[in-house]
Amino acid sequence: MTINAPFVEKILTGFIKEELAKAGFRKGVLGLSGGLDSSVCAFLASKALGPRNVLGVIMPYGRSFGGDLKDARTVARRLRIRVETVDIAPMVDAYFGRHPTDNRVRVGNKMARERMSILYDVSAREKALILGTSNKTELLLGYGTIHGDMACAVNPLGDLYKTQIRQLAVHLGVPERIRTKEPTAGLWAGQTDEGELGLTYAEADEILVRLVDERASTAEVVAAGFAKKKVEKVAARIRASEFKRHLPPIAKIAPRTVGHDFLYAYDRDK
Amino acid sequence: MIARARREKADLVVFPELSLTGYKLRDLVEEVALDPASSGPFRKLREAGRGLDLVLGFVEEKPGERGLFYNAAAYLHRGRLLHVHRKVFLPTAGMFEERRFFTEGRNIRAFDGPFGRTGLLVCRDFLHLNANYLLFADGAEISITISAAPGRGVSSAAKGYASSRMWELMGETVSRLTTTFVLYCNRVGFEDGAAFAGGSFIFDPFGKLVAQAPPFESDWLVADLDLSLIRKARKAWPFRRDDKPEVTLAALERIVRSYDD
Repeated sequence: MTINAPFVEKILTGFIKEELAKAGFRKGVLGLSGGLDSSVCAFLASKALGPRNVLGVIMPYGRSFGGDLKDARTVARRLRIRVETVDIAPMVDAYFGRHPTDNRVRVGNKMARERMSILYDVSAREKALILGTSNKTELLLGYGTIHGDMACAVNPLGDLYKTQIRQLAVHLGVPERIRTKEPTAGLWAGQTDEGELGLTYAEADEILVRLVDERASTAEVVAAGFAKKKVEKVAARIRASEFKRHLPPIAKIAPRTVGHDFLYAYDRDK
Repeated sequence: MIARARREKADLVVFPELSLTGYKLRDLVEEVALDPASSGPFRKLREAGRGLDLVLGFVEEKPGERGLFYNAAAYLHRGRLLHVHRKVFLPTAGMFEERRFFTEGRNIRAFDGPFGRTGLLVCRDFLHLNANYLLFADGAEISITISAAPGRGVSSAAKGYASSRMWELMGETVSRLTTTFVLYCNRVGFEDGAAFAGGSFIFDPFGKLVAQAPPFESDWLVADLDLSLIRKARKAWPFRRDDKPEVTLAALERIVRSYDD
């Protein structure tokens, strides 16, 4: 679980630089939430592309999450990257004003997709690519909004567990306040990832690394000393969220079909 | 790069696996396949390679074997094609899918090169003990592997990729226990999100590391190889003299005959 952080920094800055260059881009844009993942991504992007080629977009919902807003601005200032703020309240309120709901997951997902819709527009305006900030823990647990925060052009963080992102954050010099605050998707006030998942990231990551990377069975993970309920919950979440890690299935009709047997690397010709 | 190598008076330049095309070809394999005897790129390489030797990777499709595509390595001696090795062991598991797109080579043999008897392997071939043994049994004194091995594992216990250790271990083992120069050229950069591990190396016939490129980063690795070490190592450690390929052959025949599934 412990990574060689300087080496990982080298790989990920290399990845950001090379993937953008191959696609013909110099600039990267990312949503800055003031949380750990987007801060780490901003640090990496700034090193890879130079601060002037990174744009952080802060997208609060009205006046909520004032502390996070401040943290996001601190990161941008520290890195000297460009930053702009777009309040998503008018768009989200306009929609739910006409289609009201008490379902806070629906509201949270709508906000995540609103933010991504803005990021894609900003990326077109800036001729920039969107840098994803979904980590391996979220991707495996399906703890993300499909076409919302899970969307991006390239994702430098997707093979690092939350625990490993914390290690990388220490190495990169991400402010301690950001490193130690409670992770939240910001879906509603008082929401925390760990509260919603029902287990801590530290626990989830220890279980995930065994189930996924070491391909241990749930029985083997339980035998290694982890609570059966938690192991089964993690395994169930991985299974239930498989669809979030794929492009939508295409009904095969022809001899050669996109998504089935039309097979190329995404960066062919680059 | 060839021009620079010539300026620096290199005798031999080694490029990585599928260096003419890139590694993750999938359905592009048929579009980039070449016959080295007649293809334009090889004509250019024969011209560019005058005065020195090149080892490089490409997709081979011969006129007599249309529709069969090989992941191949070529040895060009001063512009002349001396040897082609077709990758025998095509990794097809986990992140690898070579057997979906390539035909397996069927031969592993050494050839007489300008610096001694030489053998070529492609990437995964090198991790198979029998591939290395066959080159040894066929008299190879210089073993050259071209590779596109991805990097995996970034534990704090290793300075580079955890997966690189396996290649280095094989390099040291083969060079020392077959008293052979081992040259391993691995690429860097990303394809489809996966990074290649770099870390190219050269071991001498005593198993001593002569030169090594860093993990992940591109490098221009130049080394002088003292070819007299082959004779010295083979005198000090007569593994070659004492080898018994006929015992190996007899045992293998027995083992293969005993398959009963």
